Amino acid sequence: MLSRLVIVSANGLKSSGPLGAGLVQASRSLHTSSQSLAPVPPLPEKGGKVRHGIFPEEIFQLLYPKTGVTGPYMLGTGLLLYMLSKEIYVINHETFAAASIGAVIIYGVKKFGPSVAAFADKLNEEKVAKAQEVKDLAMASLAQAIEDEKKEQWRAEGRSMLFDAKRNNVAMLLETNYRERLHMVTHEVKRRLDYQVALQNLHTRMEQEHMVNWVEKSVVGSITPQQEKESIAKCITDLKTVHFDPGAYKQEVKEIFSVVCVRSRCFLLFIFLKKGKDDTRAELAVTESGLLTGTLYSIWEVGVALKEFLPI
Amino acid sequence: MMLSFFDQFMSPTYLGIPLMALALTLPWVLYPTPSARWLNNRFLALQGWFINRFTQQLLLPLSLGGHKWAALLTSLMIFLITINMLGLLPYTFTPTTQLSLNLGLAVPLWLATVLIGMRNQPTHALGHLLPEGTPGPLIPVLIIIETISLFIRPLALGVRLTANLTAGHLLIQLIATAAFVLLPLMPVVAILTSTVLVLLTLLEVAVAMIQAYVFVLLLSLYLQENV
Repeated sequence: MLSRLVIVSANGLKSSGPLGAGLVQASRSLHTSSQSLAPVPPLPEKGGKVRHGIFPEEIFQLLYPKTGVTGPYMLGTGLLLYMLSKEIYVINHETFAAASIGAVIIYGVKKFGPSVAAFADKLNEEKVAKAQEVKDLAMASLAQAIEDEKKEQWRAEGRSMLFDAKRNNVAMLLETNYRERLHMVTHEVKRRLDYQVALQNLHTRMEQEHMVNWVEKSVVGSITPQQEKESIAKCITDLKTVHFDPGAYKQEVKEIFSVVCVRSRCFLLFIFLKKGKDDTRAELAVTESGLLTGTLYSIWEVGVALKEFLPI
Repeated sequence: MMLSFFDQFMSPTYLGIPLMALALTLPWVLYPTPSARWLNNRFLALQGWFINRFTQQLLLPLSLGGHKWAALLTSLMIFLITINMLGLLPYTFTPTTQLSLNLGLAVPLWLATVLIGMRNQPTHALGHLLPEGTPGPLIPVLIIIETISLFIRPLALGVRLTANLTAGHLLIQLIATAAFVLLPLMPVVAILTSTVLVLLTLLEVAVAMIQAYVFVLLLSLYLQENV
């Protein structure tokens, strides 16, 4: 019979109700055409809702219109009591074993359920995160490429400014070079002119010296012996007229001495002021030696001053 | 009909049709096939993760030749664990309590490892019969002992699994019976016995997983020696 149906066209079969659609599906082989790879609808985010871990929420919704909220619970209790009373289910040692394994399973699910679920979610999230990272990296690199391109375009606009700057640069170089050479030229010319000036000065000086020497020689040569004797006699008579004034001499000595003393006192004061209380020993030694030197110097200066005027 | 303690170990039949095949293959239904989707539900994600991790750990000490056994060993592990754990539920039949099944798994796999070793590297495989550093006079005796231990291996593998699971199930039955019988007579003692039963059940859960793992681990060890 099926072979006859296969001969009938597919369009005719498709339109002939549910049986026809099923037959069309049966004539297509399983998962060989690319239609099975077409975008499938997404999976639901969460599993079906259950109450007490095993009873789907749909049963409660199904019974709600007729029996209200307590309906399914009454059904469950009734069923259980019926099976126990009619001894369809007999309580024996297996019941205890069932109770204990049930307790272990419920404890396990309650305790480790959330953590296992979180772990499974984390596995999926890590997968998604990896792909997301690749996508984000790609997007970031593309955005960066756009930015770089815009910058390059902006740079290309500034071409003319670059050329102007280069032109200015070259002009400046040429100017500098020209100025340098000009300076060199003036310097060289000045050097040559200075030489000529120096040469002229030399000539003038040499002539002057020569002239002076000639004049001196002629003057010295013109001094006769008679003139020499006359000048010596004049000098002797001049010397005899000079006399020694002790008052004036003493006054002059006192003046010199006071000046010297003031100078030495200033010097000593200066050294004294320089010598402070917290000077180290070396500094003290230096200051002391300075004092000594100052004193000796002033004495020596006095001596020198006196020596000038003493008839030694 | 009174249940004797050993009825749970009887191979199940229905109207003369042996149901052993169903008992062995139905646990497969519990594991969803990996779908073509990239992101799956939690169960599939956990299943995939567990299988990957287990295979990676098992094949860590094996050289490249042993990696051919990855599918076999991992599927064996999943099979044994599922059957053992399902057997802890009440009124269920555990196929691994049958010595025939366990020996049927152990002997061919062990023999395969031995033959692989003998075929590819006979001297190296025979060298395992003599541990390093044995003193001279002991050598003949030790070779005999090692040969005996080699041939005991499949028996040990099979009997270990059978004995552990059978003993566990029997104990559960006995203590459950004790609690059940004591409940009308001495309720307090019955409660204590029930506590013992709960603890024993926990132990049996652990034993179920460990025995399956040990079976597969020892096989991988024998493979490691010979590959």
